[in-house]
Amino acid sequence: MPKVKPRVKSVKDLAELRKRLRSSAKNFKSKLTICGGTGCHASRSQDVIDAVKKELKKRKLEKSVRVRVTGCHGFCEQGPLMILEPGNIFYCGLKPEDAGEIIAETILKGEVIERLLYTDPVTSNKVQTEAEIPFYRAQDRQLLAQNRHVDPCSIEDYIAIGGYSALAKTLAEFSPEKVIEEVKISGLRGRGGGGFPTARKWAECRSAPGEEKYVICNADEGDPGAYMDRSILEGNPHLVIEGMMIGAWAIGARQGYVYVRNEYPLAVKHARIAIQQAREYGLLGDDILGGGFSFDMEICRGGGAFVCGESTALMASLEGKVGEPRPKDVHTVTDGLWHKPTTLNNVETWANVSPIISNGAAWFAGKGTRGSKGTKIFALTGRVKNTGLVEVAMGTPLRTIVFDIGGGAINGRAVKAVQTGGPSGGCLPLDRLDLPVDFDALYDAGSMVGSGGIVVMDEKTCMVDVAKYFLAFLQDESCGKCVPCRLGIDRMLEIVTDITEGRGRPEQIDLLKELADTVASASLCGLGKTAPNPVLSTLRYFPEEYEAHINEKRCPAGVCRELIEYEIDAEKCNGCGACRRACPHDAIKGKKKEAHVINSRKCQKCGICLSGCKFDSIIVT
Amino acid sequence: MKKYVTLKIDGAGIRAPKGSSVLDVAIEYGICIPHLCHVPNLSDIGACRLCIVENIVNGRSKITTSCTLDVQEGMVILSNTERIKKLRRNIAELLVAQAPNSRAIQDVAVRCRVKEVRYPFRNSGCVLCGRCVRVCEEMWQARAIGFVGRGKDRRVDFPFGVRPDFCKKCGSCIDLCPMTITPCDGPMKPGEEYLCGKCESQLSMASGAMEDICVWCELGKGFQCARYGHQ
Ligand SMILES: Cc1cc2nc3c(=O)[nH]c(=O)nc-3n(C[C@H](O)[C@H](O)[C@H](O)COP(=O)(O)O)c2cc1C
Ligand code: SF4
Ligand code: SF4
Ligand code: SF4
Ligand code: SF4
Ligand code: SF4
Ligand code: FES
Ligand code: FES
Repeated sequence: MPKVKPRVKSVKDLAELRKRLRSSAKNFKSKLTICGGTGCHASRSQDVIDAVKKELKKRKLEKSVRVRVTGCHGFCEQGPLMILEPGNIFYCGLKPEDAGEIIAETILKGEVIERLLYTDPVTSNKVQTEAEIPFYRAQDRQLLAQNRHVDPCSIEDYIAIGGYSALAKTLAEFSPEKVIEEVKISGLRGRGGGGFPTARKWAECRSAPGEEKYVICNADEGDPGAYMDRSILEGNPHLVIEGMMIGAWAIGARQGYVYVRNEYPLAVKHARIAIQQAREYGLLGDDILGGGFSFDMEICRGGGAFVCGESTALMASLEGKVGEPRPKDVHTVTDGLWHKPTTLNNVETWANVSPIISNGAAWFAGKGTRGSKGTKIFALTGRVKNTGLVEVAMGTPLRTIVFDIGGGAINGRAVKAVQTGGPSGGCLPLDRLDLPVDFDALYDAGSMVGSGGIVVMDEKTCMVDVAKYFLAFLQDESCGKCVPCRLGIDRMLEIVTDITEGRGRPEQIDLLKELADTVASASLCGLGKTAPNPVLSTLRYFPEEYEAHINEKRCPAGVCRELIEYEIDAEKCNGCGACRRACPHDAIKGKKKEAHVINSRKCQKCGICLSGCKFDSIIVT
Repeated sequence: MKKYVTLKIDGAGIRAPKGSSVLDVAIEYGICIPHLCHVPNLSDIGACRLCIVENIVNGRSKITTSCTLDVQEGMVILSNTERIKKLRRNIAELLVAQAPNSRAIQDVAVRCRVKEVRYPFRNSGCVLCGRCVRVCEEMWQARAIGFVGRGKDRRVDFPFGVRPDFCKKCGSCIDLCPMTITPCDGPMKPGEEYLCGKCESQLSMASGAMEDICVWCELGKGFQCARYGHQ
């Protein structure tokens, strides 16, 4: 690569650059793509990368083998992952020690190493390519699949796979109105949680009075367990930048901001490098591609609170003030950042823009349901076999995500419920899993698509405890400005805690519902307005669990400490003593080969003995 | 020249200067919408949420606070529907459970028809209405006090917890604080989660017929309620 980047001054320049990049890529005999995403990183992918590079150097293969470190491929559960070309061979669960063998066998001889392939859990067969893996098979990976083809720190990679051609097309052929029209036809709705029609937001912002306008990318992603925005920004930052540029052209903005969560240093770094590279090529700055459009952007690090993701709080934080929501009686599209018209969209929303322009609105609208178009990325977590990032067409049944892609519950247990939509989403029972992931369908069922967290729960999950967990999270994250949210969530938590600790009274259920209604209707911002969802949805679908806690002082799932007792089934216990030795509180007594007993006064209900007993003799009642 | 808009509040046709808030206009016309964090001539933050109203837009009702809502031509506002009354009562109940011994909070609660409190009492000395913070910043440009912390830990404090030199000791923060009104003689104790009802007896005798009249609350007297004129 030349040190000084050639400035791309026109659409023709860009096409020529792409051609050059593509032909120089042919110099590599093979390609080795290793996931450097956060999940794989945690399973030591960096060591694998180092080992591979060392091995290539040793064998003087650096010039003919391209090593590309990319963002997340989604299947983090199996990381570190590697894909080899030619052959499209997919290796997983790699260790640094495997590097030598991979180079010697696969790169040099073209032999596939069985041991490193993925085993289909159903057929027990080894499979060679991503496409054959059930986890990937049921997905429709429009955005995530691109991660595999780009090194996030290389704008050249992005341009080679067709990057910035949507921008070129926009500037050359589309008026701002036409861009908005195209996005409208595509049916794109915001991926940040609310599902607001993107085109409508843009149109309102475009027609708002004022010369100066802004576009903002919301990359705050405060939802615990969610990391789809991170994976896109970290893995393919130019996709987001290009989307923002097209949006800026449409609404008439010259300046953009990416507001990134403070805990995402790699996303910050990659986005920063990407912006720098785009500037060097002249893709950001004045008169972009000779189309008379000027635009630049900056990165801003988040205020470190969940509520900073809320649009008005985010803008306050960008302005250097305390990140607290303000009443939105005048919308931010008219009165946003520095009181100027502002369009704020989520990372994934922006990432969808350039594919819509490139492939056409009809292509996008061809996927999904009547009201929810395109694909959506979900973070699948909880008690499910294949955790990771999943991208499916909108309208895919939750069942497909949980069972076909996720592989069902771990340890052969039964799935009981699925929580969607992050901390303020809702819990749906098993018999609702045929619901499609669709903004409106999930909303009607008392849950939501939200930003895309899906947590799978099995029979060992207590739904009252789940409600308590989310309430505690939201109470912690409430900014505390308005009364219904600050005091209402607090009182809901107080009541639910009473219930889980055996002090619940039947009339508290009605009070809980009334409070939930008040908090949802009267709170200032979205946090308070959606906070009651976990309580309401569990009350709606699992009332019997609340009743068991209140009326029988019993926790059916055996979770709520105050309501459970550990006992040993004397019939089953053979006196092996494993539990006695494991108990940190010295609560178990018994002679060798005789049934043991638990002293309930000493027992702290930690559950350690449970996993120690190989004979299923310990029961929770 | 001032521009005017016409709107309807609770069915009454009202002409109001553009740029004023629904709450201010309502009070001016004698429609008292209960409120706590609003102070005339200071900015509104929409924190207490007592002043909620229904704003009917295209036949659909949106619940929002009237202090932060500007009047608009043709607006239809309902300040006292059953729905609003219920929500407002619940909010006031949360407040009074938090600060059961504040006369001002009790007054507001009575005005919102709270009779019994269904939560265990707490006895906090501040309901975070932010009146003090705003008067200090906006009237005196002192910024000697502000909010610190988030959520449950939110409180009003001096920077770093010590009174700064630039505090003018004007006392406005204390004057405006709803916690400082001399308590009535029926303060509540834990275990007695009901209002003593003395202020309620100030309500109209025919309370059924004139349900929503002003109670001439202490809060209004202390806080320049339009009802009291400028005494
Ligand atoms: C408490 C709270 C937290 C939020 N956090 C995020 C977030 O982390 N990322 C995000 O994109 N949107 C978040 N949102 C939604 C944003 O306020 C906003 O609606 C969204 O970014 C708009 O983009 P979209 O139209 O593309 O969805 C949050 C909303 C609330 C109320
Ligand atoms: S709803 Fe909660 S987070 Fe939002 S402004 Fe009110 S207190 Fe703050
Ligand atoms: S581990 Fe199980 S079988 Fe062994 S003594 Fe304990 S309860 Fe009995
Ligand atoms: S639950 Fe914990 S404290 Fe109780 S008996 Fe088992 S190991 Fe001991
Ligand atoms: S007394 Fe001090 S803190 Fe209070 S309003 Fe005056 S200047 Fe502000
Ligand atoms: S100190 Fe008084 S005026 Fe200030 S926020 Fe607290 S209750 Fe309101
Ligand atoms: S981080 Fe490697 S697959 Fe997700
Ligand atoms: S007076 Fe309007 S929210 Fe407090």
